[in-house]
Amino acid sequence: MNQRVRVTSPQTRLALRRRTDAMRPISRRAGRPPIASTAIDMAAAERALRRQRRLAVLTVLLLAAALIALLIAADLASGRLGWALLFFAPYPLLVLLAAAHVRRAERVEADS
Amino acid sequence: MLGLASIVLVTAASVVIGVWGVKAARSTPDFLVASRRIVPGWNALAIAGEYVSAASVLGLAGLLVKNGVGAMWYAVGFTAGYVLVAALVAGPMRRSGAYTVPDFAEYRLGSPRLRRMCGLVVLVIMLLYLIPQFKAAGVVIELVSGIPYWVGVIGAGLVVASTIAVGGMRSATYVQAFHYLLKLAFIAGPALFLIFLADPGLRSAAVNPAEVDADWMRPMLDLDDSGRPVLATVSVLIATTLGAMGLPHVVMRFHTVSGARAARRVAVSVIVLLSAFYLFPIAYGLLGRVVTPEHSETDIVPVLVPGAIAPGAIGTVLTALVAAGAFAAFLSTSSGLLLALAGGLSHDLFGGSLPRLRLGVAVGTGLAVALALPAADVDINVLVGWAFAVAASTFCPLLALGIWWRGLTATGAAVGLLIGAGTSTGAALASVLVDIEPGAVSILLSQPALWTVPLAFAAMILASRPSAVPEWADEAVLRLHIPGRHSAEIARSRKPLDVRSEAD
Repeated sequence: MNQRVRVTSPQTRLALRRRTDAMRPISRRAGRPPIASTAIDMAAAERALRRQRRLAVLTVLLLAAALIALLIAADLASGRLGWALLFFAPYPLLVLLAAAHVRRAERVEADS
Repeated sequence: MLGLASIVLVTAASVVIGVWGVKAARSTPDFLVASRRIVPGWNALAIAGEYVSAASVLGLAGLLVKNGVGAMWYAVGFTAGYVLVAALVAGPMRRSGAYTVPDFAEYRLGSPRLRRMCGLVVLVIMLLYLIPQFKAAGVVIELVSGIPYWVGVIGAGLVVASTIAVGGMRSATYVQAFHYLLKLAFIAGPALFLIFLADPGLRSAAVNPAEVDADWMRPMLDLDDSGRPVLATVSVLIATTLGAMGLPHVVMRFHTVSGARAARRVAVSVIVLLSAFYLFPIAYGLLGRVVTPEHSETDIVPVLVPGAIAPGAIGTVLTALVAAGAFAAFLSTSSGLLLALAGGLSHDLFGGSLPRLRLGVAVGTGLAVALALPAADVDINVLVGWAFAVAASTFCPLLALGIWWRGLTATGAAVGLLIGAGTSTGAALASVLVDIEPGAVSILLSQPALWTVPLAFAAMILASRPSAVPEWADEAVLRLHIPGRHSAEIARSRKPLDVRSEAD
């Protein structure tokens, strides 16, 4: 008699259900249509992944190159030049690298 | 006393802002990731605020005084990590819709077992990272007020735990954005003041190598007098750069922005904010070498410098400001860490509810405080370095391979995590417990990232080879990289509506 019932609007029920579905990993959703987007364009996705991956690898290599160059320069530098190099040089370089990556990544997304 | 008063004031302000954010913390998603309603600008500030920890403020300056200008490499690595975050993690991770790293592991590899394993790794990293934060709080409180170290540590634990347990992530975001600004003002302000108003002789002494020994000025990290500066520098750089990418509490923050694009942009903003910030602890270190060269506890150098340069009332006020800034650094980082730790305990290990999450905060604080008490004599940067090394050897390969390589399997990830976590924590422990003479071996134990990171990558790749890749793995990876409406986040991109209807 005293059982408690959860009262929600239809809209809320829908929203809650959508959320629990989304929380479930794809692996466990296997066999039923995933919510909202049943099918993805696999070929286009494949192209996007490859382009983004090439871009990511490029940025990682550039970062590694920049840090190695900095290491060599710091090892050779002496006296005041040494700390000035480490104080001023790395940060603009890092901002530039990241900003360039993000710009290119967004351009790839706009294309695909 | 002014120092203690300023610390109390910072804490009170944080609590007020935290309580103001409480209204939103109703469901687990609210508590953990602020229901994704945080504006990007606030988010970048919050990430930077959380990341610029007591280690950055105190540890960096302390290490600079102790070891020389090579300590600046830590700051370079801490910042460079965000280039990797922007390039490899931020966008796809946001699209996965996962709240935490263990969530992501389950999404991508479909193994609840692996999720629990990741939960354990989160605990290890977060604990390693929390200990130096509490140490910093303890030494600062002791310095400005004379309160014993252990009382300060326990008091700091109580303050952080109660703020977080009441508010959760939404409040934490505002509190941390507030802390970044506070830190910048209270650390940078006195630093600029001291640099420009200190007498010219002191200023030139701080930047002039002439009267300093060549070893100190050499821009390489010669840790523990091992005589292997290049090796140590490279290993620290690998740990800090790759570790930043795998830090669970940082990864978690990116779920609070609106989408993948915004997540990447936030990462770039964080680099700018960090670049601006890290110049100041370094300035304290350079000044500290001149005015406080012989102090045995170098981790409190930034708090000592103002008093040593400007005696009298000005010095007292500046000291209070720096102490407040350092304490803000402690508060913001430790609340973020505790949240991730609590998330790991309840959400990932025990399938969470909100009361459990709050219990997790309490347990996590207790553990961290208990471990920080005996750690009083360990350098802050050493402890932080280990947290980064473990993150670099575990979650960095997991995320990098999981996001970009379809061949990763649950078995491969598990083997890689085990080997990465085992070797990096084992090496760090061995460097404390075993007495080895300084040299290449001691560096490879105390700074293990140079070999444990490649090992973890190799283990994950090799152990993934034999097992079959499940057919849904293709889609799980591809969804991380498709922009717009077809990505994995689609189901949750209508968040504001969902949240409101649930709250109604």
